[in-house]
Amino acid sequence: MTETAQVRPVRPAPDSLTSFFWDGARERRLLIQKCASCGRFQHPPEPVCHHCLSFDLGAGEVSGRGTIYSFEIATQAFHPWFADKIPFVIAVVELAEQPGLKLITNIVEADLAAIEIGDEVQVTWHQLDDEFTLPVFRPVGG
Amino acid sequence: MSGKQRVAIVGVGYSTVGRNTGLSLDTLTAQASIAAMDDAGVTPRDIDGVVVHSFPHQYVSSTHTAAMLGIPDLAFYSSSVDGAAYAVAALHGIAAVASGSSDMCLTLRTVHRAGAAGGTALMGGGENAGVGGQFQFGMPYGSFTGAHFAGLYMQRHMAQYGTKEEDFGAFAVAQREYALRNPAESFFHEPLTIEEYMNSRYIAKPLHLLDCDYPVDSSSALIFTTEERARDLKQKAVFFDAWAMGTTAEADFSLVEDMTHSSPFMAARRMWSKTDLTPSDVGVAGLYDGFSFIALQWLEALGFCGEGESGPFAAAGNTRADGIIPTNTDGGACNVGRRHGANFFIEVTRQLRGTAGDRALPRKPAAGVVSNAVGGFAACALITAD
Ligand SMILES: [Zn+2]
Repeated sequence: MTETAQVRPVRPAPDSLTSFFWDGARERRLLIQKCASCGRFQHPPEPVCHHCLSFDLGAGEVSGRGTIYSFEIATQAFHPWFADKIPFVIAVVELAEQPGLKLITNIVEADLAAIEIGDEVQVTWHQLDDEFTLPVFRPVGG
Repeated sequence: MSGKQRVAIVGVGYSTVGRNTGLSLDTLTAQASIAAMDDAGVTPRDIDGVVVHSFPHQYVSSTHTAAMLGIPDLAFYSSSVDGAAYAVAALHGIAAVASGSSDMCLTLRTVHRAGAAGGTALMGGGENAGVGGQFQFGMPYGSFTGAHFAGLYMQRHMAQYGTKEEDFGAFAVAQREYALRNPAESFFHEPLTIEEYMNSRYIAKPLHLLDCDYPVDSSSALIFTTEERARDLKQKAVFFDAWAMGTTAEADFSLVEDMTHSSPFMAARRMWSKTDLTPSDVGVAGLYDGFSFIALQWLEALGFCGEGESGPFAAAGNTRADGIIPTNTDGGACNVGRRHGANFFIEVTRQLRGTAGDRALPRKPAAGVVSNAVGGFAACALITAD
């Protein structure tokens, strides 16, 4: 398929609420929205803190350490970009900084048959194109 | 009984249903509405409430639907695009009749096959525009559709409770048995074996193709009215006994607090708190099967089995016609196609009326339960024969 070369990745469209996340990722820093009033993280970003209803929200850098809350092996491409990526792992990772603080991501550099819920993972970076870098996760150790 | 007025189901109907009907959302909506009015023996002038649930990208307007049908004046209308599909329309309609806001309410769910699963249909803005809102934190990773939360929910249940892929498969096999007794509505006419289920391709392992409902163009309609008016109509009325919605604190389906204990548990607990009935009084269930795991989560949430036990419960045949809780006796949306929850209300109504034909259960039920959705939002209702 000659058109494969023209297929572009599915890119985020940041806005004033979310641009910090993608700006941080470009610098390979995992930034999560953090409430300046109560100190809690939340993701995805919202205009108001779920916990204390403050609008004074910023971004906090996190360690990038976490555990796999759940995962699946995507075997069907729902967009042409993924046609030559399957099979790949879609996961929900719970970050170490706060119970229940989770994000959707990919697990990379992993043996697909060996991944288990609860596995420890560490953030790494997947450069999508000239403009965007995705935080993804790889198994820690073993 | 939760409201002021007892609320009866007096008419049910479907549009033409198919993979590619070529019919517009409005045409399908009108067809289903007319079928339900014919079933009830009422005319547009009897109806003073219209409630529609649709996808935001397949919007169907309640006031336009009324105009299309020649309903001269609406006392109550609502067009929702958020939440638990048909059950949202149903619970709005129930609330309207129970509160006296409407005397006779037409409730609808219309869906087109194309793009109904979400995914790239939700992206908008052309291929290079990128994805905004919450989708920017999922789609760049390849998480596009309901299938992508479904695989995560199944995996979590399997890890937490030892549930097997074959357990989900057993549910799919049992549904197909019912579908074979519903040839007029089912799209599948051959028995399903567990081997065929296991050999069906993965969409997002552990999710198999045969865990997924069958996308179609469809519209479904039910008409609700007061007990007093119901007694004079064509069909034997059945009645809502209790109903409830539920949600989770986290709205994103992939990020809910607890995937194995999501909104069905909140809705079910709330519903049981409003009735004297218990699960043992319920003889038929219509549990949403957009993905088979959803019906299993409802079996647990509603108390038909213990939490975490739905896999072995289904594998033991307890959802079959002679089981503890006959479930999805029309074949479910995996077989009759995506009616987005409405088919469960319609089929349970038929079972309670005694008009289920070849699918009439060996033990005629006096009460049935219906449900919709999972994850971030859910709704359910109890229906009784009189
Ligand atoms: Zn706060």
